[in-house]
Amino acid sequence: MTRARLPLYAFLVLLFVGFLAPLVWALSGSFKPRGEIFGYPPELVPDPFTLDNYRTLLTEQPFGRWFLMSTVVAVVATTVSVFVCALAGYGFAKFRFAGRRLLFNVMFSSLSIPFAVILVPLFVILVKTGLGSPWFALIVPWVAPAFGIFMMQQYIVQSIPDSVLEAARIDGASEFGIFRTIVLPLLRPSLGALAVWQFLQSYNSFLWPLVLVSDSSQYTLPLGLQTLFVSEQRQYDLVLAGAVLAVLPAVALFVVLRKQLLEGLSTGAVKG
Amino acid sequence: MTTTATAPPGITHEHGGTGSTAHRPRKSWAPYLFISPFYLLYVLFMLVPVGVSLWLSLTEWVGLGTPRWVGLRNYRLLATDISFHRALGNTAVFVLVAVCVVVPLALFIAQALNTRGLRVRDLWRTAYFVPIVVSPILVALVFGLIFDRQFGLANAVLRALFGTGGVDWLGDPGWARVSIALVMLWRWTGYLTVFFLAGLQNVPRELYEAAALDGAGRLRTFTTVTLPALKPVTAFVVVTSFIGAAQIFEEPYLLTGGGPAESTLSVTMFIYRAAFQRQQFGYAAAAAVVLFVLVFGLSRLFNRLLGIGRATS
Repeated sequence: MTRARLPLYAFLVLLFVGFLAPLVWALSGSFKPRGEIFGYPPELVPDPFTLDNYRTLLTEQPFGRWFLMSTVVAVVATTVSVFVCALAGYGFAKFRFAGRRLLFNVMFSSLSIPFAVILVPLFVILVKTGLGSPWFALIVPWVAPAFGIFMMQQYIVQSIPDSVLEAARIDGASEFGIFRTIVLPLLRPSLGALAVWQFLQSYNSFLWPLVLVSDSSQYTLPLGLQTLFVSEQRQYDLVLAGAVLAVLPAVALFVVLRKQLLEGLSTGAVKG
Repeated sequence: MTTTATAPPGITHEHGGTGSTAHRPRKSWAPYLFISPFYLLYVLFMLVPVGVSLWLSLTEWVGLGTPRWVGLRNYRLLATDISFHRALGNTAVFVLVAVCVVVPLALFIAQALNTRGLRVRDLWRTAYFVPIVVSPILVALVFGLIFDRQFGLANAVLRALFGTGGVDWLGDPGWARVSIALVMLWRWTGYLTVFFLAGLQNVPRELYEAAALDGAGRLRTFTTVTLPALKPVTAFVVVTSFIGAAQIFEEPYLLTGGGPAESTLSVTMFIYRAAFQRQQFGYAAAAAVVLFVLVFGLSRLFNRLLGIGRATS
């Protein structure tokens, strides 16, 4: 490292600390007894160190059920949405058809519709039609994100040569057969990126479950933790431990698949 | 999102040789079938709700019984509702923070990360991105701890550094907005950095070498080479952050509850409160329509100004 680079690395280290400090602070707090979380002066290393928060949370609260609910919803939503996005992305990337331009613009402009606009009517519609069950309402309306279709379309344009498709057509393969046996395998890296992103979106979503789920046996993780926080008179100990546990799988998933995700996310925005 | 975003991708390939047959317009139902699942869901869960929102906004409804038609009354009430004005003002502040602070900072960090021969680039990039994958609940909890007036980490650090740290982060209207802005900064900067970094890595090196030969300084190079090359990415990032910040909900809802004195109430929180805490569904729908017109209109305008989605290539 040359001396000229010193300010640069100092800057990067400072940011590193700034971005990770709140997470370390949460982790540290989750091992402190209730009275010590707000101890003064603040201590980074918990003293006394306790696992009671985790123990109480896991034995006295339905943490496992919340976790299961969140995970199953997120996995199902992710699987379906990756498939739907790949289908539509392929349709837009590799076919020319009447109305293509208009349909693409309609899809693309739905990115600019704020969720808050459909929050109230969607809730009303689903409840009135008897489709308000979390298994339907937390999953089905969210499986066709325009962002994912756009990402897939960009990736397919770049990475799938027309000659491969044409050769398969000459061999007499059906259009869906081509998609399933040729396109999907070639798309694997970007499907992975989209899947991680969709999973995180669903797993972390808060506003929609907050509005929709009223039965406490169907709470998702964020909802269960929020309710616990309110019912404990805003005491941090249990909820902090729960939030740390909730975040671990998300962060682990991201760290393991970060290369795919970061490159996949920026593909659509940068190249083309 | 590049300028080819809405250009038929086929066009660029079409002057090729034998491979171009795939793009000859074929009378086929296949492409419609491929895109149909999206449009089915789009109509059911996007278009229909937007339509219902428009209709509901012209009614008065407590959630039970039949909505009563009231014409434009909800909009007239909104026009004089001081809470709604506050919500619009606060949301505008959050949008400005996102577009004028978070986005430039992300570009600056991306510039730093793009330094040639930088060590452990992946480590920096990954660490800066982590806040966006963290559940909003944890974000709210930990910033609640940090911004505590008496025992919080923020004031403790201020005290250690400057000897004074009595900032009422979440209790003072001005500081509450600052706190929300800081959380936004923490959550979104690393995410946006990734896009800028990818954009920077795509700028041809020769352009920089040419600028260096011309004797351009660092700032000149930045304004004449980097910024023009980054235009598509910048456009994407600006529009994304605008739309994201315009519908901000979790940060203020979980951290300040919109307070104190509605100083951090956002438009989405206003809608949520009207519908699900006060059972004023028609009123909430009217506020939602106003938000829709503002966000959709402005982002279309940005798209036009910044050249996203235009079929030039």
